[in-house]
Amino acid sequence: MKKMLSVLLAAMLVLLAIPAMAEDQVITVVTWDATTTPYLAAQKEAFEAANPGVKIEYVDVASQDYAVKTTTMLEGGDKSDVYMIKEIDNLINWQAQGFAAPLDTADYDMSGFVGTEANYAVDGVQYAIPFRSDFWVLFYNKDLFDAAGVEYPTNDMTWDQYAELAKKMTNAEKQIYGTHYHTWLSAVANWAVCDGVNTLADKEYSDLLYFYKLYQDLEDSGACMSFADLKAAGLHYSGAFANGNIAMMPMGYWYVSTLIGYNKDGTCNFNWGITAVPHLEGVPAGSSFGNLTGAMINAKSENKDLAWKYVAWLGGPEGAKATASVGARPAWVSEDVAGAMASVEGFPADETSKGALLPSGVAMEWPVAEKVADIKTIVNEEHSMIMAREITPEEGIEEMNERVAELFE
Amino acid sequence: METAIHSRQIRQDNPVLRKIGRVIIWILLIALAVFTLIPFVWMISSSLKLDREVFAFPMRWIPETFHWENYSLIWQKVPLVTYFKNTAFIAIVVTILQTLTSSFAAYAFAKLNFRGRDVLFLCYIGTIAVPWQAYMLPQFIMMRSMGLYDTLWAMVVLQAFSAFGVFLMRQFYRSIPTELCEAARLDGLSEYGIWARIMLPLSKAAIATLVIFTFVNTWNDYMGPMIYLTRDVNKTVQVGLRRFIQENSSDYHLIMAASLCSLLPVSIVFLCLQRYFIEGIATSGLKG
Amino acid sequence: MSQAEVKKVRRKMGKLERKNTLVAYSFLAPNFIGFAVFTLVPVICAILLSLFEWNGGDISKMKYVGLDNYATIFATKKVAEKGIEYFFNRADLGIALKNTVYYTIVTVPLTIACALALALLLNKIKGAVFFRTVFFFPYVSSMVAICVCWSFMLMKNGPVNQIIMALGIDFNKGWTADSTMAIWAIILVSVWRNMGYYMVLYLAALQGIPRELMEAATVDGAGKWKQFLHVTLPQLKPTTFFVSVMMVISCFKIYDVVAIMTEGGPGRSTKMLVTYIYDEAFVKIRYGQASAISMVLLVIVLLVTIIQFSSEKKFSND
Repeated sequence: MKKMLSVLLAAMLVLLAIPAMAEDQVITVVTWDATTTPYLAAQKEAFEAANPGVKIEYVDVASQDYAVKTTTMLEGGDKSDVYMIKEIDNLINWQAQGFAAPLDTADYDMSGFVGTEANYAVDGVQYAIPFRSDFWVLFYNKDLFDAAGVEYPTNDMTWDQYAELAKKMTNAEKQIYGTHYHTWLSAVANWAVCDGVNTLADKEYSDLLYFYKLYQDLEDSGACMSFADLKAAGLHYSGAFANGNIAMMPMGYWYVSTLIGYNKDGTCNFNWGITAVPHLEGVPAGSSFGNLTGAMINAKSENKDLAWKYVAWLGGPEGAKATASVGARPAWVSEDVAGAMASVEGFPADETSKGALLPSGVAMEWPVAEKVADIKTIVNEEHSMIMAREITPEEGIEEMNERVAELFE
Repeated sequence: METAIHSRQIRQDNPVLRKIGRVIIWILLIALAVFTLIPFVWMISSSLKLDREVFAFPMRWIPETFHWENYSLIWQKVPLVTYFKNTAFIAIVVTILQTLTSSFAAYAFAKLNFRGRDVLFLCYIGTIAVPWQAYMLPQFIMMRSMGLYDTLWAMVVLQAFSAFGVFLMRQFYRSIPTELCEAARLDGLSEYGIWARIMLPLSKAAIATLVIFTFVNTWNDYMGPMIYLTRDVNKTVQVGLRRFIQENSSDYHLIMAASLCSLLPVSIVFLCLQRYFIEGIATSGLKG
Repeated sequence: MSQAEVKKVRRKMGKLERKNTLVAYSFLAPNFIGFAVFTLVPVICAILLSLFEWNGGDISKMKYVGLDNYATIFATKKVAEKGIEYFFNRADLGIALKNTVYYTIVTVPLTIACALALALLLNKIKGAVFFRTVFFFPYVSSMVAICVCWSFMLMKNGPVNQIIMALGIDFNKGWTADSTMAIWAIILVSVWRNMGYYMVLYLAALQGIPRELMEAATVDGAGKWKQFLHVTLPQLKPTTFFVSVMMVISCFKIYDVVAIMTEGGPGRSTKMLVTYIYDEAFVKIRYGQASAISMVLLVIVLLVTIIQFSSEKKFSND
């Protein structure tokens, strides 16, 4: 009896020890919307398959509170291995505070990032690797164009042509809007940076005037919903376009995967396509602006080598394929990746849409610059005043110029 | 003067006028109740719609088709049961601790004379005045070094000793006549005895109020759990609700459904406790 | 009395006082220890932080700057150059202060009036349980849901505007997108949400009014209005003190409704002190300046409280 018991005990101990011995190495990654973002699931699956014995564990933070939560975590000495970077400012701050570990990129191929990785470098040292790069495209509802007998928009259209097209597509009786602008600065006036020369931190904002005037003209003619209504209802562009009464909408590339999802679950059932965003006279067709998403390694991580393996993979061609497989746009650009993006189930099959996948140039929505967080606040405040028609575009731009200048006195 | 009294008496005695007064009060109350409830009607109707129908124009108070599945969807999409359990744990423990310790401390502030009382009390009120966003960081660093980060106990210690409860109870105790305490002291009761046998029974309504407020505030707190709780097993309902709001899309219909569900436990607590507002201290033999 | 006797009495009294103080501390201890560790110490840290420049990271990066943070937020240089109008019309702190004070001055009396009226109406009436629950409902529900809901109610063609139009008033604006109406949208939501909360406080306090007092007043032939003015209102003073202090504080700390409904806009028309603090601390990572703004808030609220406090003392001494 005693013997049996001791054997049993020994067996139990062995059983307990096995999982302990075979325990996976874990990389903790702080990110947002972890359960609902398809590319995060795809990346995790692909990385774990390629690296047996290593597990990715996401720490999920609500997207609208990402800045405050991650800042507190880092200040509090959090040891999570990898932090994803939602906005470039995040990294600039974290680097200055010493939270970002410098990366050894001497043997790391960054050619596929076409220069965007420079946004994550400080004094020539790389602190993060981009893995997603969203740029803006023009979405359009093919069914509405067919019904109206109007030709589809193309990849080479000026803003004036676009405005004309929007008015043509508008049908007040049928409650059809020619176009749709979300309330953000980026949806209305950020286009001025597409030329690659202007930036929103250059202290001179007269280049935005054209776009505010264009917008107000469209709003006055009823070609788009009014800012006041959108703002009050918090009406989300995703639902608005999915309603099927909006002909065109400039929006970030990320909306492609949302629309594919909507088509699948039946939320909307019309045909749609994408084109390059319109351009100004004299700016090459296919110029757009966008935003980067990347990953950095926490300076307090106890697992830096493994974390680097993951971050390097994430940005590189393999990670890019995983990211592209669900319709998101990776930072690594190549024909291969564009092919992967176009072959996602549900992506529009026409040539124009495919052509829109390779923009001729992508400027940064917000550049890395001194006091950029303060400038952002000011420009956004004046933007909302112009949009709510509290002040004219001219007055708003003057305010922007004046207030930004005061920052640097 | 005489006519004034006369007319008042008429008003008081005339049953017709009285009835009209009653009716006016009722109409007023019902109108106010409708104003208060309309947003909830909208919430209920939105919770039964599809996402894109929520803000569609023209608005519909009654959904085209009732999507009851939204109410089962919320339990599948996020681990709401865990969230409810966590929130209930925090709310109950905080409420017990808060009620006990603050009614104790409030007695000292209201009925005892001791050196430094007013300064200490101002300290309490002073901290209420500092917005949490301002001292969140030092507090976080401290709590982390105590190993409380990402545990439910972090939320308990954070909320259980708030100055609010002390202040509230002090105000109630002050309205209880001091003569009562003095009489008890002469009868040989210790201060602890006075607190237990006189103050507590007399402040049922106040305690019910504090319980309701603490429970509701803890239940609905968002910023605290958002900062201190990270792993999914530790999250609370309010934090969980925000998971329906994502970077590029929001499921407003699900937010409405889930927040209506989270309304239930708090409403029950309120319904159970509100009878104490009827049996007040007025009937307990006090002389005014 | 001889010298010795006086001394004896004094010593006895000193002993008694010491004993009393000990008893008082024993009452305070359970709450105070928790309060001191988890709230008071961090608050003191925040106060000190306002004298430092610290943009996060290692604590060694903190730099003592004296009152520089205050000079920055009060824009002293510009004010000296362009006059005090600059502070209130252009500086972030001035605008936030103006908005917050405006919001507080309107919201506090409005909420108190509504709460008191509701409590009086519901104190002794059939069906009170139902109505009390109804009016408390807004406070119980989650903030996001409420704000989303009200944003919709206050749209240009929303239900609220439809009612206003039906009353014959020409009003056709989306509340949250208009720089004069946006703050009223926030006031409306705040009053709607909080009146039930303060109603509960008043209800609890009304239970505390000895019935004998009311009866005595009725025997004296006092009408309802006089009874209210001379019996009910004075008896409610401690509660009103509490309610007004708490309301002033919570109004000065308004954050959630603004963050969800207007994000401080349009322009800076609903920028409040705490939204400003949040922005400085967690967007611009200037903890020192954020603390300095909190101190401005703390000083204002303390001043208001001390005024209210001393008037309470006067009352209790009558």
